[in-house]
Amino acid sequence: MKLDTSGLETFVPPSRGLNVLPSDFTASPAFDLPGCTDFDGFQKNAVQMVKPAKGTTTLAFIFKEGVIVAADSRASMGGYISSQTVKKIIEINPYMIGTMAGGAADCQFWHRNLGIKCRLHELANKRRISVTGASKLLANILYSYRGMGLSVGTMIAGWDETGPGLYYVDSEGGRLKGKRFSVGSGSPYAYAVLDSGYRFDLSIEEAAELARRAIYHATFRDGASGGVASVYYVGPDGWKKLSGDDVGELHYKYYPVVTSSVEQEMAEAPVA
Amino acid sequence: MSIFEYNGSALVAMVGKNCFAIASDRRLGVQLQTIATDFRRIYKIHDKLYIGLSGLATDAQTLYQRLVFRHKLYQLREERDMKPETFASLVSALLYEKRFGPYFCQPVIAGLGDDNKPFICTMDSIGAKELAKDFVVAGTASESLYGACESMYKPDMEPEELFETISQALLASVDRDCLSGWGGHVLLVTPTEVQEKALKGRMD
Amino acid sequence: MAKALADVPPKGGFSFDLCRRNDMLVKKGIQLPGFRKTGTTIVGLIFEDGVILGADTRATEGPIVADKNCEKIHYMAPNIYCCGAGTAADTEAVTDMVSSQLQLHRYATGRESRVVTTLTLLKSHLFSYQGYVSAALVLGGVDVTGPHLHTVYPHGSTDTLPFATMGSGSLAAMAVFESKYKEGLSREEGIQLVSEAICSGIFNDLGSGSNVDVCVITKGKTDYLRNHQLPNPRTYVSSRGYSFAKGHTEVLSTKIIPLKAKPEVAVVDAMEE
Repeated sequence: MKLDTSGLETFVPPSRGLNVLPSDFTASPAFDLPGCTDFDGFQKNAVQMVKPAKGTTTLAFIFKEGVIVAADSRASMGGYISSQTVKKIIEINPYMIGTMAGGAADCQFWHRNLGIKCRLHELANKRRISVTGASKLLANILYSYRGMGLSVGTMIAGWDETGPGLYYVDSEGGRLKGKRFSVGSGSPYAYAVLDSGYRFDLSIEEAAELARRAIYHATFRDGASGGVASVYYVGPDGWKKLSGDDVGELHYKYYPVVTSSVEQEMAEAPVA
Repeated sequence: MSIFEYNGSALVAMVGKNCFAIASDRRLGVQLQTIATDFRRIYKIHDKLYIGLSGLATDAQTLYQRLVFRHKLYQLREERDMKPETFASLVSALLYEKRFGPYFCQPVIAGLGDDNKPFICTMDSIGAKELAKDFVVAGTASESLYGACESMYKPDMEPEELFETISQALLASVDRDCLSGWGGHVLLVTPTEVQEKALKGRMD
Repeated sequence: MAKALADVPPKGGFSFDLCRRNDMLVKKGIQLPGFRKTGTTIVGLIFEDGVILGADTRATEGPIVADKNCEKIHYMAPNIYCCGAGTAADTEAVTDMVSSQLQLHRYATGRESRVVTTLTLLKSHLFSYQGYVSAALVLGGVDVTGPHLHTVYPHGSTDTLPFATMGSGSLAAMAVFESKYKEGLSREEGIQLVSEAICSGIFNDLGSGSNVDVCVITKGKTDYLRNHQLPNPRTYVSSRGYSFAKGHTEVLSTKIIPLKAKPEVAVVDAMEE
């Protein structure tokens, strides 16, 4: 059966004037500290609450032509698959995308929040924010909520004045610059494929295929990854979605099966 | 984590008109990691009697070996195959013996009786029998399977339709379960022949 | 060595071989699976010429209804039946065990089994397991000393009552009994009251549901009224169901194994061999 992939489409809201922003728009968002006596216990519970939303494979790498970002699309709660068409690659602005691993709500909210901050930076400084700067904005926010139960494992990929950029940011406060990352429960499998097939001078098509294969192999081995393998490319002109393949079909494309249409009749051995 | 979720499994058996079908997924995992995609959970006891063992694979295999042993002793003593009802009581007794330190297995038993009357049955891990007239399910995908079977099952299906129904119920259910799937095995047993089929399914 | 004999058919009793391993798994943070419970409303009452037992037919596994029409009134002897609540495997095993002991006892004595014998066998088994065999029972029967009704608790204590309820729906059922039970009910009135009590459990207790089973035991006669009432018929499914075209499912491989017809065994005089 075909997956309904409409949830993976890019949604561009109609642009409006800029003077409709509310006055407190620039105030940095803050959560009130929970009004409870047992704060440590609250934190523990909060971490537990977010935990079930794990199970993902995302990856990104820099190569000659730019950055390739890819992800699966499964959302699971324990053993139950709650969706096969989750958009795990979040478009922050036309030149920058982020990936989603960990708590879905945490990732979505803070990426959107990062999008706002990046736009404000653009308006204030009359130039686009660097990937370095954007990732640091996010890392600083996440660090300030460290230990309070946020669960985010993200890669920020984009193109700025210095060329392609790629950072790994997580809710523990870590921020790493690098050429090749994979995040999520399927990442060991994705890394295996990625590391064995990676070269800096890949063409865009080769790079996309490598990413697709890495995601496919991860979905095959990892129970919590699956659905659609989406591949994005970020170049000098911004990001572009290259492909979105149902891995259910991808498997049989990579490994075609010969369906034995002839039914083998096992004749019974004659009784002696 | 429940111990049933360690290896992951999906099992279902359905009754048709003078026939039955028993189906399972093909995955063996260690929690979320898929180890094998050609694993067998349905074992043959004799030509017209099969048992599927969901749950912890190590216990399933041990239990199966003990069952085969006991069935062979029975065959030697009685010079005949066991009736499905008798076999179900044997499984139940073996499981209940370990009431306070159980095998982590939920069996599904399906067989054709003396006059080719289909018999299906499932148990919990300490041998509480549940005899059903229509279908039985077990494994990590059991909740989805209950739903699928409850709506897809019809009484008195012919073998061909029974195969399609049990296959669709299985494939639909495992697509909502992380821990089972990766194809399926179906055994369709009629009084004259056994059809063993491997199903094409999603491999994620 | 004794170990080599471990796999021969056991003489009976529980085996604790896997307990250490299972404890280890629990300590590692693994949850043990829940067992199938009966959930249950079970009742019994004494009427003018015997005993009536009643039960619902739902079996649950956690929040899932595992069986919509199970049997909870177990056979003990031709004149004695027993309703079971608690862990399904335990009620099943304990009643089976005692009923076979009773059968052997009847073979030895050639007399009808007595309800007190059954009661003693049940309670001594349950008491010796200190409540770990979780079976809560309503035992009823008619013997030479007349009609008897008892309740047995998992720890082995017992009650002797004119009307009794057990299981998660016991409060709902007892409410009906307390308000309507009187001595010397007729058979019809008795069945009616038992059904009403079970229905009260079915509709007001989440652990109980589906149908009403009734068992009427009188001197020399037992009527097991399986599915006496069906207050919850399935109404929500299309009678046609789903149908799939042949060949709809994609099959990778097929193996067909023809079965040989059962060889007709010629009846030979056993002495000739």
